[in-house]
Amino acid sequence: MTVVLLFLQIFLLDELSIAMWLRPMVFPLIVVLLPMEWRTIWVMLATLAVGVVMDVTLGGAGLYTATLLPLVVIRHWILYITTGRRVESGDQSSLLSRMTLRQLMIYVVAMLGLHHIMFFGLETLSFAAPLRLVATILFSTLLSAIIAWPILRLFISKIVAR
Amino acid sequence: MNRLIEFIKLIYVLVLFVVLEGFALWSYASSSPYTEVKILSRTTAFGASISGAVTSVENFFALSSTNRKLTERVAELNEELHSLKTSSSHMVLDTLSVASASHFRYHPASVVSMTTNRQRNFMVLNRGSEDGIAKDMGVVTPNNELVGYVVSCSDHYCVVQPMLNVEFSTGGRLVDNDHVCVIHWLGTSKYEVDAKELSVYSEPREGMRVEVRSERLPDGVLIGTITEYELNSAKSAYSAKIAIAADMSKLDDVLIVENTHYGELQELMKQME
Repeated sequence: MTVVLLFLQIFLLDELSIAMWLRPMVFPLIVVLLPMEWRTIWVMLATLAVGVVMDVTLGGAGLYTATLLPLVVIRHWILYITTGRRVESGDQSSLLSRMTLRQLMIYVVAMLGLHHIMFFGLETLSFAAPLRLVATILFSTLLSAIIAWPILRLFISKIVAR
Repeated sequence: MNRLIEFIKLIYVLVLFVVLEGFALWSYASSSPYTEVKILSRTTAFGASISGAVTSVENFFALSSTNRKLTERVAELNEELHSLKTSSSHMVLDTLSVASASHFRYHPASVVSMTTNRQRNFMVLNRGSEDGIAKDMGVVTPNNELVGYVVSCSDHYCVVQPMLNVEFSTGGRLVDNDHVCVIHWLGTSKYEVDAKELSVYSEPREGMRVEVRSERLPDGVLIGTITEYELNSAKSAYSAKIAIAADMSKLDDVLIVENTHYGELQELMKQME
């Protein structure tokens, strides 16, 4: 799934030029959907690898890595805030598989939204056109979530089948 | 020892995150001059509020020195004003006297933070666009010695590219014979800048004063004095080392110089292009 998401982002979504304020990004799903029971250090190293691949292939010069890494730190909190579920220490069962599709969608949209805020904020580095920045974040998050929907369905069916 | 190991085990993920995030941001910030200046001005705006408090305490203890500099400057300006008044009373009003009316404004500012140990050094001043500061304004010491040029502004702060930056460049002029040159910094010494493209007829000498020749600053702004010079291999021009007049490692108060005609000049240059 990681490879599929990376290819989808690099070869399709990044090549799309629908509008300046509409830039869907689904690669954060790789970090968002990593098993919650994994140790944070492994999640962080996996995220670093994804960020570096994105930076090298898309010329981000650190932008992709810098906006992916905070997701590792905040994902447990966002999960708790959006779904009320907490990851207990020593929990070895797949927490994501026990979530309903609606809960998973809320969690994913929140994470995508936060990522898009950091990404476009850092990319623009200016509040000269705040409306355009907000529109870019909102519409891009919305489109990313729409594209993420079938991926999430597939993800859920895979982990439930396991 | 065990407690230390336990503590490190407790925070190593956070430390790793801070290190990786810091490295990624640094890599992104140094990827282009735009991101460098933007991130620098944003982060320093936060850091400036902290170091501003420290600076104000330091300023308090440096008040006597500051007062002395200001008094000297006031005396100098009074003297200049007096001589101008005297000469204008004897001058016939003609086009020459109108053209020589000053169009430079001075804005006092304090240094919030500055680096001198990098190849691309920057300085942050506590004046920003709300104080009328804009990009490309010149920055001088109270003794009228060149410091650098403003490259970016936030509402309350501005970032200055000082002479000690390998991307810095400005025009210079030998005071004795008006020959012009290009001034830049090679990053070798924080006490010297380099002058290039000096005419073979300029006859440079050690101790000769070099001033700024730029539309952004008035005449008379000192860069420094020549310490050594040599003809290039093609014997077509001189290059020279210039000892910087301003003490770049000890700057507290500076003056930001605004050329009120600068916009007009830029428009004119754009038309030419």
